[in-house]
Amino acid sequence: MSVVGSVVGFAIQTLAVSSIYILVAIGLSITLGTLKFVNFAHAAMYLAGVYIGLGIALELQFTGDIARSIGLGNVGLDLGFLAALAIIPIITFGLGLLMERFVARPFYDRPDTDQILVTFGILLIVQELIRAFVGGRSLTFSRPEWAAGAISLGPLGTYSSWRLAIIGITAVLVLAVYLYIEYTDVGLAVRAGTEDAEMVNLLGIRATRPFLVIFGIGSGLAGAAGVVGGPVFSVVPEIGVGVLVPAFLVVVVGGVGSIVGSVVGGLLIGAVEVGLQMNAPTWSSVGIYALAAVVLLVRPAGLMGVVEVDE
Amino acid sequence: MAASNDNMAENDTQSRRDVLKTAGAAGAAGIAGLAGCLEGGNGNGDGGNGNGNGGGSSEYPSLGNYPIEGDTAVLGFNVPQTGPYQEEGADELRAYELAADHLNNGGGWVDMWDDLSGDGVNGYEIDYVTGDTATDADTARESASRMIERDNVIMFSGGSSSATAIAQQGLAQQENVLFMCCLTHSNDTTGGDCVRYGFREMFNAYMTGQALAPIVTEEFGDGLDFYQLYADYTWGQTVQQSMRQFFEAEGWNEINSVPTPLGTDDYSTFLQDARDSGADVLFLDHYGLDGSNSVSQAVDQGIKEDMEIVVPLYNVPMAGSAGGSIEGVFGTDGWDANLDNEPTQVFAEAFEEEYGSTPSSPARLAYSATLNYAAAVERAGTFYPPEVIRELEGYEWSNGGIGEEIMRECDHQTMRDILVVRGLSEDEQDPDSGRYWEVVEQSSYPDAVGYDCDSGPASECELGEYGDE
Repeated sequence: MSVVGSVVGFAIQTLAVSSIYILVAIGLSITLGTLKFVNFAHAAMYLAGVYIGLGIALELQFTGDIARSIGLGNVGLDLGFLAALAIIPIITFGLGLLMERFVARPFYDRPDTDQILVTFGILLIVQELIRAFVGGRSLTFSRPEWAAGAISLGPLGTYSSWRLAIIGITAVLVLAVYLYIEYTDVGLAVRAGTEDAEMVNLLGIRATRPFLVIFGIGSGLAGAAGVVGGPVFSVVPEIGVGVLVPAFLVVVVGGVGSIVGSVVGGLLIGAVEVGLQMNAPTWSSVGIYALAAVVLLVRPAGLMGVVEVDE
Repeated sequence: MAASNDNMAENDTQSRRDVLKTAGAAGAAGIAGLAGCLEGGNGNGDGGNGNGNGGGSSEYPSLGNYPIEGDTAVLGFNVPQTGPYQEEGADELRAYELAADHLNNGGGWVDMWDDLSGDGVNGYEIDYVTGDTATDADTARESASRMIERDNVIMFSGGSSSATAIAQQGLAQQENVLFMCCLTHSNDTTGGDCVRYGFREMFNAYMTGQALAPIVTEEFGDGLDFYQLYADYTWGQTVQQSMRQFFEAEGWNEINSVPTPLGTDDYSTFLQDARDSGADVLFLDHYGLDGSNSVSQAVDQGIKEDMEIVVPLYNVPMAGSAGGSIEGVFGTDGWDANLDNEPTQVFAEAFEEEYGSTPSSPARLAYSATLNYAAAVERAGTFYPPEVIRELEGYEWSNGGIGEEIMRECDHQTMRDILVVRGLSEDEQDPDSGRYWEVVEQSSYPDAVGYDCDSGPASECELGEYGDE
């Protein structure tokens, strides 16, 4: 393979690995930046995206102990993948609003440790509820037929069609959220609130509603990530925790409260992971932590992090 | 005594042993291991001595958790309920619970095995505790330690993974509490890390290499280049070594082998490199969720268009998760619920009746491990560990659904047949009956698989003390 081919191949591979991290990280980053809320339960939205998405697109088999004891069988709408991709963000947006109202809001003024404990607890509860109802067995979230198999890009290599589709879907979703935050009044309030929430309040702007909306949007993105990520990996209840850690590292590297930061952080994490897998595979699982540590030492607020006015 | 054979790859292993002996330290280990082979070992399945002293008589001194207090013997089932091997663990747990039920109330193999009564074991009712190893050696050891110290288990059993099994059997030796290995396929389990207090019915990577190499090379052709991705811990490392040893002996050439961290979700980069290598065959030395992820991602990435794929160790949950991706993929498994013999049918029916699903090979291992231990206790007439160990050593049986089996005395490795299988297409698969592949060959011991006590992994085994010396 030529040098150009290798570089482009590396870039495509990085984009494929980074896409899901970025989708999940954006919601985490925004809620941390605007609301100062550490929301580990965000990964529950990813889980909801995968499992409810599977039920909408195909069929969800309930084989868990509780499901068996109450005679719950298989449930599926069989509406196809695109329907799931359209419906899931709406459902998880709604779940996000509920979470903001009943979980996040009572903890806004509490210490970070309280927020981490309660949200991580919620993630574990959701995970175990899934195990109790759906079961621990891994499920297959079949790829849509139009994106099954591989595509040859000539000298650039052959890639999974679905991985390329994920890159496209991620790009569209991230761009849409970016434009929303950059060019709408809600987005303006959110950006202002990220930099100085107190001043926004003093100016008479009720930041509660924009923040609520942005919480929901972040949840919607995580749900969408679940739908697009479901067909890539075996579907088991632990995938929520599995995606949470790299997504959180993306926020650490990219900086809180910044969509661009999440994208940059996600790409860096992905590039380090892919680079190490190619050249030093035994270090590939620890390399991303080393990257996060270096970034924290050099730029504690992250590469694109917003330094608050009162700091 | 255990039978032995002299075939395959003998030169390699022999010279390796010689080198180790020359090095000195392993020479001393070999002598100790030989001493272990020569002493004790009365069992060849010739029935119990019927002294009826149960677990609490005064004939034997206290050792480990012997004698048992009360009239209930507690067993510990320590399996991965979370982590990459959780599906195998869940199926193992079902089978363990079924075994405990059958030991107390009859049913399944208990009704077929002369040593077992269906009314407890040696006069004791069987109870059990369970643990989650999280597919992690340290967690497994902690969980097993709790079982031994808090729950006073008289025997514990578990695995996968091999790392967890090796950690647990090390603890077993230290605490003089018997450990019956379940799903562990690393050569080290009954090789360099073998212990007197651990027994394994599962075959190992070395035997997989023996079974796979002649069949796969005949199927795919001579002189091919192969590339390996292997899970980066004891199991994956020994699979990688054994595949290289036996396939290079058949004239293939390993281009590269790359370690992948246990629990990796995304194999796309590794797979891309494998494809770029230009190799003809790709070995995916992964298991459980890792295995189903890597093989389905390989197929999704179009690898099959350029390379043949081999998954050295298969099982039903893994195949079910990978679905149609395993079409044409070769591998080995220890047992299949669709085998045509009575023990297989009896176990499969009992399991299906209880849980509504077809048992996997790890489930059969768990069931068999529990019942083999119980039968050894009955034959010994006591739970006293050294006597139970001596009953298990050299024991031969043929009512486990996979033909003749011998629990070898020298390394506690069972010599037995292995199934070489090839994945079916999605249309041909029948999940309801656990049918995901066709059995290409039942590679038999000693004709096709097996090795002597002084060769292969056994050459590195030093079992340790019985505890009553």
